[in-house]
Amino acid sequence: MKVAIPRLGRILLVSIQQDLSDDAALEFQSNLLKTIAKSEALGVAMDISALDVVDSFMARMINDTACMARLLGAEVIVCGTQPCVAYTLVEMGRGLFGADCTFNLEEGLKTLKQRIASRGDRSLTEDSDHDGA
Amino acid sequence: MSNKLLSTLESTFSANRAEIQKKWISAIRAIRSPRFPEAINNSELQQQTTHLLDELASVFAAYPSAGKWEMGERNLLRQALRDVSEYGARIGFTPAETSAYLMSLKSVLTQVLLRELAKSPAKLQACIIAVDDVIGQMALVTFAAFVDARERIIAQQSASLIELATPVVRLWDRVLLLPLVGVIDTARARAFTENLLEAITRFEATVTIIDVTGVPMFDTAVARHLMKSVDAAQLLGSKVVMTGLSPEGALTLTKLGITLPQVITRATLRSGVAEALGILGKRIVTVPAKE
Repeated sequence: MKVAIPRLGRILLVSIQQDLSDDAALEFQSNLLKTIAKSEALGVAMDISALDVVDSFMARMINDTACMARLLGAEVIVCGTQPCVAYTLVEMGRGLFGADCTFNLEEGLKTLKQRIASRGDRSLTEDSDHDGA
Repeated sequence: MSNKLLSTLESTFSANRAEIQKKWISAIRAIRSPRFPEAINNSELQQQTTHLLDELASVFAAYPSAGKWEMGERNLLRQALRDVSEYGARIGFTPAETSAYLMSLKSVLTQVLLRELAKSPAKLQACIIAVDDVIGQMALVTFAAFVDARERIIAQQSASLIELATPVVRLWDRVLLLPLVGVIDTARARAFTENLLEAITRFEATVTIIDVTGVPMFDTAVARHLMKSVDAAQLLGSKVVMTGLSPEGALTLTKLGITLPQVITRATLRSGVAEALGILGKRIVTVPAKE
């Protein structure tokens, strides 16, 4: 399954709608990284509300992706972690994800926008350096 | 081996020298290498082979009738071979090409001897053994010299790489930029960290931007060097912004468990500069353009 990565201004929306195989997960990871680098995204909202089961590989993948996205200069929010998933992660000793978490996508986007607003490069667009602030 | 046999070797060599040189040159030209034809031009090849054959003639003349011949440390042939292999290393021959250069002479000589001395097997045998011995030693000398020359060239190159300047640029009041380009090794890392720390203290930089767009490869060593510079800069009280990491770089660092939590990371130098100015409470605004 291919995960679509729609763009909302300079925020990337990622919604993982069903369980990914290990290969698909890695492909998604590298796709996302490339998209972030290409679009100079300021934020990534990762919606995992559709995931009922997260195994250790998947947890690690999401964690790693969040770290990598941060290294590429994007803020990362993980939205909609299911209660059973959260419990499983804690039981596995993984703790929560490396990134900040919110209940749903709406709150995630709100948090992202707040974080982006405090950044110095928020108003740089791809082809202009006009500071509209 | 009697003197008579040896004088046969010398005389056969002298008598057929023009032919040997011609065949040798064409054999060298036939070595299959895309670089070869342009690498040595005709007159150079002519000169080199003439010089080598001159020295070879004097070696054959002095070849002992009994006992072992050894190429002396100050032998002129040795010097000639060193020149050839050094030249080869400089213009980028592979070791195989350099040894093929010499081995082609052996086959040419053997063919000539086989033809000229076909009627006297005893002489032929003695001569071939002598040729084999001499060329074998020549090959050893060439190879050693080739490796020496290459190593010297590599040492020079790495020395010049270390000296590759890593300037610390004062981008704005209290903003420093460290643009990293090329491979980062311990010596370079130490050099640029020292420069950076000195500059941070001198300019009292609030923000330091480390741009890694030009770093081709990240591994544990590079990451460790970078983290040391970052930590040291932070100890001095400067905030560190890292820019220009590639997706591959981010992947490698994360896989190595390096997340640089205390560093602000930005995709491009441009965002990094904006961030740095933001930290200082400055921004770039549009003004009417100059005519």
